[in-house]
Amino acid sequence: MAQEKKKSSIKVGIQKFGTFLSGMIMPNIGAIIAWGLTAAIFMTPNGWFPNAQINNLIKPMLNYLLPLLIGYTGGKMVDDDRGAVIGAVATLGVIVGTDAPMFLGAMIMGPFSAWLLKKLDNAFQDKIKSGFEMIYNNFSLGILGMILAIFAYFIVNPIMVTGSRWASIGVDAIIRVHLLPLANIIIEPAKVLFLNNAIGNGILVPLGIQQAAKVGKSVLFLMESNPGPGLGILLAFMLFGKGSSKSSAPGAAIIEFFGGVHEIYFPYVLMKPSLILAAMAGGVTGTFLFSVLGGGLKAAASPGSILAILLVAAKGSYFGNLVGVFGAAIVSFVVAAIILKRDKGTGDELAEKQKQMKSMKSESKGQEMPSAQNAQSSVKSYADIKKVIFACDAGMGSSAMGASLLRDKFKKAGIKLPVTNTAVRNLKDEDGLLVITQEELTDRARQKAPNAMQVSVGNFLSSPKYDQIVANFKALTQVEDKPEKAAKPAEKPGLIIGIDFSKVKEVNFIRHDEHLGSATMATSLFSDAMKKAGKKTPVKAVKINELDDDPSHLVIVTPAAKKNLKLRYADIQIITVDDLLQDKKLKQIVDKLN
Amino acid sequence: MKLEKSMIKLNQDVPTRDQAIRMAGQLLVDGGCVEPEYIDSMIARNNDVSTYMGNFIAIPHGTDDGKKYIKKTGISVVQIPMGVDFSNPDDDTEQLVTVVFGIAGLNNEHLNILSQIAIFCSDVSNVAKLADAQSPQEVIDLLKKVGK
Repeated sequence: MAQEKKKSSIKVGIQKFGTFLSGMIMPNIGAIIAWGLTAAIFMTPNGWFPNAQINNLIKPMLNYLLPLLIGYTGGKMVDDDRGAVIGAVATLGVIVGTDAPMFLGAMIMGPFSAWLLKKLDNAFQDKIKSGFEMIYNNFSLGILGMILAIFAYFIVNPIMVTGSRWASIGVDAIIRVHLLPLANIIIEPAKVLFLNNAIGNGILVPLGIQQAAKVGKSVLFLMESNPGPGLGILLAFMLFGKGSSKSSAPGAAIIEFFGGVHEIYFPYVLMKPSLILAAMAGGVTGTFLFSVLGGGLKAAASPGSILAILLVAAKGSYFGNLVGVFGAAIVSFVVAAIILKRDKGTGDELAEKQKQMKSMKSESKGQEMPSAQNAQSSVKSYADIKKVIFACDAGMGSSAMGASLLRDKFKKAGIKLPVTNTAVRNLKDEDGLLVITQEELTDRARQKAPNAMQVSVGNFLSSPKYDQIVANFKALTQVEDKPEKAAKPAEKPGLIIGIDFSKVKEVNFIRHDEHLGSATMATSLFSDAMKKAGKKTPVKAVKINELDDDPSHLVIVTPAAKKNLKLRYADIQIITVDDLLQDKKLKQIVDKLN
Repeated sequence: MKLEKSMIKLNQDVPTRDQAIRMAGQLLVDGGCVEPEYIDSMIARNNDVSTYMGNFIAIPHGTDDGKKYIKKTGISVVQIPMGVDFSNPDDDTEQLVTVVFGIAGLNNEHLNILSQIAIFCSDVSNVAKLADAQSPQEVIDLLKKVGK
């Protein structure tokens, strides 16, 4: 048990680190593709249509733009806009004075500088006189940025250059002795555990970019993105699978091959773990063929679909790439077919495995399995959420209220996510967005932002969903949190003594001079609770002189009002509560009534 | 912005939610915050998407189109101790409201106070205090305590 826990925390640790690394790359994939396409098409002399002028774009894009963007993004992840700016400033220090693209350096300096700036801000923020914030903000960042850029230039840059050289020597060596394929033995199982993005964007892509800069292409881009192994496994299911796994495999194969969404085949492997052998065999074969036949990509293929791979394939390596992908598919198909033929299972476990996969995914993203009740809202993981937006019709009232409530709850829970509000029509579809709306507006919001996670609330002020949301985010930051306390100790019975519930025909709350509103509310809440419990005794708010003096009336009052009541009535039954709306006794009263 | 005493009306008795909204809207008109047309836009908005917030409060405000009738930011308060049902007529669930906040917001100037109201009213006992308040000053004082 303890070992299992340790295992899972290591997994969570790797995943978190990988998520952090790929988080710096992900937003910049577009820029990487822009560079990749420019290089593939116009590079002189190796491009499809060599152009000496456009060629001038390629190097600065790779050496300056991409590392700066990564440093910027890395800083932003740590300390928002200020972090982003100082991250970019400091990254420049690593870039200047070297010819190698400094991705790793950017991935270190970006977050590190932002973190330092945050510490500095924390130390000084309280001491700044009002009116001087702007000056402080700009000069603290400016001065620290200057120091960090110089530090990066003289200290970090040489370390990176040396490290980079060693790493490339290592990769070169592996490639030269044709050992690179063996790396797939590690990559494939890790992929199935949803570490695919961590491996691809965290390790292979940065190294691949350096290699591509040197020799114009890299096999490293293909090692994780190759759709061959997944395709082979799914084809095997199409022919030799059973039950629902067989019928669902063709669609999955199309998504895998043309859509490049690897996650689609992971549940099939989880269903039959020995299939990991097929994935490994396919991956090794693919990488082997890529290396031998001169395959390689100019830039990362993201997503790993056959179309993306062909689009960024280096000139002259189409043959190697296609043979590698199909070779991988054939080998993994054969191995998977053998494994499946020996399989005696019914194949109807797919649904269950898919569920298991979902829980693994949430675990690997450091999140507890959500309850069935909010399963709908967990389709997209909370780990991806970067901001929360409340949306309403005009963005004036209800959404502003909801946003300030949740902001308050986040603050108390130590969650640092921006919560804003807007009108539905101003919603923008972006990733990492959690949109909260009233139920009536859910459809409209979904149209505007189909990719955002959606939560609908019926009641903006006291929705239980808020606490679920807070709990989900909290679970992300405190994976090792103790499980919730075991069931609360049963409430002691018998707190209500001396009341004959069998005689009660009506429950009353008293409206008196200064408590009109609260009596109305208490009556409404109590009759609601009665209805939910299936109880039929009527509940009424009355004036103090409107009651019959008879034990059929059960009157619920605050201690202060009880005195008054005792002066007027002798026989009615009275229960005092400290809080007419939320007292624990009220629940017990409901239970005992008819 | 601040909540003005003149914008708070206590101990009102209204038969329908529309009337409650009109009352909150009229306070905004009288306070020079909106044109009378804004009230119709408040009713329209509530028919479209309810401004019932739960916990016995509602925050009627205009539609997006109605924003052009706003002259300045303002918030009005109508206390309805006997309550008024904000649910749709064809709906059999009861949405009882005892405190109505009429809202006209320009340039987000109202967000500060709205957020105070939200945090305060998220505890239903606090709404009870508002519903029982005996003077406009008491309402203002209650809401002021938030965040301190």
